[in-house]
Amino acid sequence: MERGGGPAGVSVIALDYIRYGYIMGDMNKPTAPLPLTPAVFHILLALFGKERHGYDIMQQVKADSGDAVKMGPGTLYGSLDRMIEAGLVAQGDTQDPRRIYYRLTALGRSTLRAETERLSRVALVARRQLGSA
Amino acid sequence: MTRSVRQKESRSLRLYAWLLDLYPPAFVQRHRAEMLQNFADLEDAEPSKAKLWLLIGKDLTMSLILQFFGSRLGRYVISVLVAWLLIFTVGYFRRDSTPGYPLLHVFGGFLPGMLAMYIATRLLGMPQNKSQIIYVIGILGAVAGFAWILLFLIGYFPGGGTPAVRNPALQVFGGFLIGMLSMFIATHVYGMPQNSSQA
Repeated sequence: MERGGGPAGVSVIALDYIRYGYIMGDMNKPTAPLPLTPAVFHILLALFGKERHGYDIMQQVKADSGDAVKMGPGTLYGSLDRMIEAGLVAQGDTQDPRRIYYRLTALGRSTLRAETERLSRVALVARRQLGSA
Repeated sequence: MTRSVRQKESRSLRLYAWLLDLYPPAFVQRHRAEMLQNFADLEDAEPSKAKLWLLIGKDLTMSLILQFFGSRLGRYVISVLVAWLLIFTVGYFRRDSTPGYPLLHVFGGFLPGMLAMYIATRLLGMPQNKSQIIYVIGILGAVAGFAWILLFLIGYFPGGGTPAVRNPALQVFGGFLIGMLSMFIATHVYGMPQNSSQA
């Protein structure tokens, strides 16, 4: 995930994070730039293995996060638009006149795996630090 | 009671539908139906209206801010705020530790003025032709004139000798009008935020 060093590189990364929630850069890489925002991570997690519509995604995110992440429609569809543009998510095949279903793409799945690995490593370091304190 | 009947009767849903117009038109066009459906589902699942609106209020605020500051108009607002910061900084070094109350008063009015004009433009639409633009500027001028007259009538300047421009209330109000005018011009030069991918 090299994005160039120096102040210019840092400012580009910072701008990406602020503007796109860190998911818009380097589209040709096997995963989107990490770390992901909590909203993006939870949406990817909710869509893993199953197509879901918007309300279903919100409920799944709430359940997966133990009520810690409560997402409203504005945040959800704003994130979904950016994730579709970044190639992480696509519209699903389920036909429903009232709902649009969403599914993960291959890039979305690999990004979710990479972010999960990253979080595991961070958690391991944190546990080690806390254990030694 | 069927869902469609319940939706028609829900004031909350009607209010939410109205608030959705604050989002960029392209975003609303893509997601309006789904967002209304999701709101109805949330309303069904949440027994407390207060909790529902707390979630929706937070969601609206955060997502609108993201949408707005990612647009060209949003970048204009950021540059205006940076310009104000520079003015204050220059004032800090040139005129002691306070950059001068007039500036603070004007700034205090400027921000809500910009916000008011943005919300009004988003909800009521942009003036499309010259006569509508003149109408809006005329309204702004009339409001300014009315405020001046009102301030004098209520005896805001009992001494009579204080120059009106030094009055704090007028400085705030002047800032408000300048803020509205600034946003009015900016929306015509840069346009309103059009879609969420700009955000």
